[in-house]
Formats: sequence, structure tokens, C-alpha cells
Amino acid sequence: MTTAVLDGHAAADSGEHDHGPAKGWRRWLYATNHKDIGSMYLVFSLLMFFFGGSMALVIRTELFTPGLQFVDPAFFNQMTTMHALIMVFGAVMPAFVGLANWMIPLMIGAPDMALPRMNNWSFWILPVAFTILASTLFMPGGAPASGWTMYPPLVLQTGDAFPFLIFSVHLMGISSIMGAINVIVTIINMRAPDMSLLKMPMFVWTWLITAYLLIAVMPVLAGAVTMLLTDQFFGTSFFLAAGGGDPVMFQHIFWFFGHPEVYIMILPAFGVVSEIIPTFSRKKLFGHDSMVYAASSIAFLSFIVWAHHMFTVGMPLTGQMFFMFATMLIAVPTGVKVFNWVATMWRGAMTFETPMLFSLAFVFLFTIGGFSGLMLAIAPADIQYHDTYFVVAHFHYVLVPGSVFAIMAGAYYWLPKWTGHMYNETLGKAHFWLSTIFVNVTFFPMHFLGLAGMPRRIPDYSTQFTDFNTIASVGAIGFGVSQLIFVWVVIAAWRGEKATDRVWEGAHGLEWTLPSPAPYHSWATPPKARIANEAFE
Amino acid sequence: MSEAERKKNIRRTALIVGAVALAFYIGFIAMGVLRS
Repeated sequence: MTTAVLDGHAAADSGEHDHGPAKGWRRWLYATNHKDIGSMYLVFSLLMFFFGGSMALVIRTELFTPGLQFVDPAFFNQMTTMHALIMVFGAVMPAFVGLANWMIPLMIGAPDMALPRMNNWSFWILPVAFTILASTLFMPGGAPASGWTMYPPLVLQTGDAFPFLIFSVHLMGISSIMGAINVIVTIINMRAPDMSLLKMPMFVWTWLITAYLLIAVMPVLAGAVTMLLTDQFFGTSFFLAAGGGDPVMFQHIFWFFGHPEVYIMILPAFGVVSEIIPTFSRKKLFGHDSMVYAASSIAFLSFIVWAHHMFTVGMPLTGQMFFMFATMLIAVPTGVKVFNWVATMWRGAMTFETPMLFSLAFVFLFTIGGFSGLMLAIAPADIQYHDTYFVVAHFHYVLVPGSVFAIMAGAYYWLPKWTGHMYNETLGKAHFWLSTIFVNVTFFPMHFLGLAGMPRRIPDYSTQFTDFNTIASVGAIGFGVSQLIFVWVVIAAWRGEKATDRVWEGAHGLEWTLPSPAPYHSWATPPKARIANEAFE
Repeated sequence: MSEAERKKNIRRTALIVGAVALAFYIGFIAMGVLRS
């Protein structure tokens, strides 16, 4: 281990790239350094998290009591649509790309991402895309209000915002595809000598699989919205029944993208948690290779289950059976993962620092989201659940205590390596407990609302749904306010106690052999082969 | 592996992956054209 630490420092101080970052705004606008770009992605995603979160609070404020209180129904629909688009494409995905930018080169012993200039473009396209999307709020007819799924013919009734929506989705797609190309090329070509694929850390593995998913499905979304654009402005009838087209075909194409998209948002979360649990259990990850095969299986299955999102449009019984059983099959590799995380903790010398707490909550609460997903996969039951708050409860359990908690866990875990300072553990734990309590107060009652028949995407509801809606709204406000603690913890971390290189006693892997904070240019000299294998000893 | 060889591999991998993405984009639109 001593050798590893010394080599890490030697690589950092080799002097091959001894110039520091550029000064002022040029450092960020012209950034090609993976750490700078990673930081920009993370800050951007945090801003979008609060922007999209404020829209969620508009929704929950309106739903606090029955009746129309604060916003008109058209604006309410704009909020649900924009909230989803911003959270999916602006908050969760860029956060994972930020973590990938920061950590993949450090973990595989590469000096930077393989295509740093393209990396710059990948990031800077995003603020342009979201400025365009946000600007639609001020356009005649308002922002898009058809839901993030953009189903025709409803979406074609969008006002002036329509072409801006399509353009911004194209830009998000281009950004994601370029980011995915960079991740794949970096991992395939720039690993430390002797770091074979199966010796890569799980975070790197899950991101490699995610990047392939992105390459396969983001162009499909782009194709779908291109066809929407031509239907609206160029006289085609891809999805217009009046012209011989088929609106259901859009749903098939959208969900061929949309279901793998779910795994794009959760596989990197699996990777983060697979790094953290072994560290705080002081054991190596149980079943590393089986985790790789499970993640690959999940990725494969994600391509053949899309129609479970649209059982109610009507399809042959054989089709329903196929998509139902294929969806249930995903529980097998996911179960392997949950088993391996539990087995890693089994008889480990566990401690419960903030990253571990978020990871444990992830395992428990994501599993709840997985179980409700299994319920939704049952075709005859889904006829009842479809478009109810049960669906809202399900995907929020997967995305908030799932993806968002994993992002928080990763941020706390690697923050000392990024800043060189420890964060305030007491505040971190306060953030965790408040988030965990309020996330359940917000989303658990939605299961009951859905089972009782409350439809989603409505600004008003029958009085029998009042109590659970009020509880959910209180929880949402509490969750939103709790996130301000995280902002303070990050800001305060720049003045915290100095972090050691290894930071966490049980941490293994190349990134922990570098100094804290990680030097601006790291691994200018590739790490020695023996060090690359150190994480597995 | 030499630096030149690594750069060549990086360029080749990026072009292949980019081509796959382009094929999915064009392929799905072509499927829409053939069905409509």
C-alpha cells in the first residue's frame, strides 16, 4: 500500500504538465480538464435540481388542498412537464456525467478524458439547451404541457414553444451522446497498464454499460422528436392518424428510448453504491464479476421491456405476456445486486458516515421502488394502476431515494478528494435524516392515493384524497428545504479539516492513492500495473 | 503502446461509436418512413 501512495504522489508531481489552470472565466469556458468539466457538470446539475425542485413545490402547493388555489390548470401541466424534463435531463443525468468526469480518469489511471475538447462541448451545450427550454415559460401559449413523454397528438397543440422544445431535446441528446462517446473511448483506450476490464472498479463498469445504453437510445429519442417536428411543420404524418400515421408508434419509439433511460439514471447509482458499501464495511465488494454480469443483463433486458409502459393502448395477449414476463425477469439481476450489497456488509466492520447512510437508504428505498415496479409489470393489474399516483410513487422512489440519494452519497464520499477538506459530518447526517424522513413522507402516501384511484397530472382532486395529498405536500416542502443543508455543507467543506489522501480508512482504488485535493493534472505518468490491481487485493 | 497508436485507437473507437449512434438515429426515422 505504501508503494501505491508514493507512486500516486509521484505521478501527480511528475511535472509533465506543471502548468495550473487558466485564470478567470477562460478556465471554465475553455475548460478541457476533466476535473473542471466534472465540477461544472455537478454545479449545473445542482442548479437544475433546485430549478426543477421549485416546480415540484408549485405542484405540491397547488395539491395541498382540493380545488384550484394558486395556478391555473394549463400552468400546472407546464410545471409537471418542465419539472420532469429538467430533473431527468438537467439534474440526474448531468450529475452522473459530472461524477464520471471527475472519477473515471482517477479510477483507471488516465490523465484525462480521451477527447477533452469534445468534453467541453458536451458540457456547454447543456446550459444553452436548458436556457432555450426555460425560455418557453415566457412564450405565447406557455411552456410545453404535454408531459415529458411528448405524446402526439397532444404535444402538437403546444404553442410557440414547440420548436424550442424539440431543439432543446436535440441539444440534450447531442450532449449526452458526445459524453457517452467520451466515456467509452476513455475506458477502452486509456486504462492503466494491466487493468483488465474485469479489474475495473464497479463505478467505471456501470458507466461503461450506461454509455452504451446512451449511444443506443438517445438517437432514438432524437429520431422521434425529429419526426414530431416534421409532422408539425413539414406536412408528414408519422404520428397523425388523419394522414395515415399512427400515434401509438410514437409511444413505442419513445419508450424504446424511455425504458433504457430509466437504467441510464440508475446504473451509475449502482456503481456509486458499489464503491461506498465496501469502503464502510471494510471488505471488498462481494461478487464483483457477478455485479458486472448483472448490470450487463439489466442493460440488455432494458431493450425488450418498453411496452410495459403502454399496456393500456391495447396489444395482443402474447405481447402483453412477453413484456410482462420480460419485465419481471429484471428482478433477477437486480436481486443479485441487492444480495451482493447485503453480503458485502455481512460481518463487515461497518461504520455509518454520511455516504454510507445515503447508500444504505438507497438499497432499502430503491428496493421499495423496485417492488412497486414489479406490481406495475403485471399487465392486468397495470390496467388499474396506469396513470394513477401509484406510478408517480413508484418512479419517484426509484429516482429520488434511488438516483438522487446515490448522487448525494457519491458527493459526500468524494468531496474530500475534490476539495482536500472534510465536510461537516454532523450537518451531513442531519441532511441525510431529514431527506430520508421527508422523502418517505412525500412519496409513500402517493401509493395509497394511486391505489384509491387518484389520477396523475391533475391540478384538482376529489375530497377523499385530501389527507394524503396534504401529507405529501408537507413532505415535499420539508425535503426541498432540507437540500439547502447540502449546499451549505459543500460551501463549508472548503474551510473544513484537511483531508488525508486516503480519506476513508476502508477505501481502496487508484483515486485514493492521489493527494487530496486531487492535483489539477493527475496520472501524467500511468500508475504501475501492481497499483492498478491494488483494489482487489 | 505508442502515443500515436493510442491516438489512432481513440479516433477509431470514437468514430465507430459515433457511427452506431448515427445509425440508430437514421434507422428509426427510416422505419417511420417505411411504416407511414
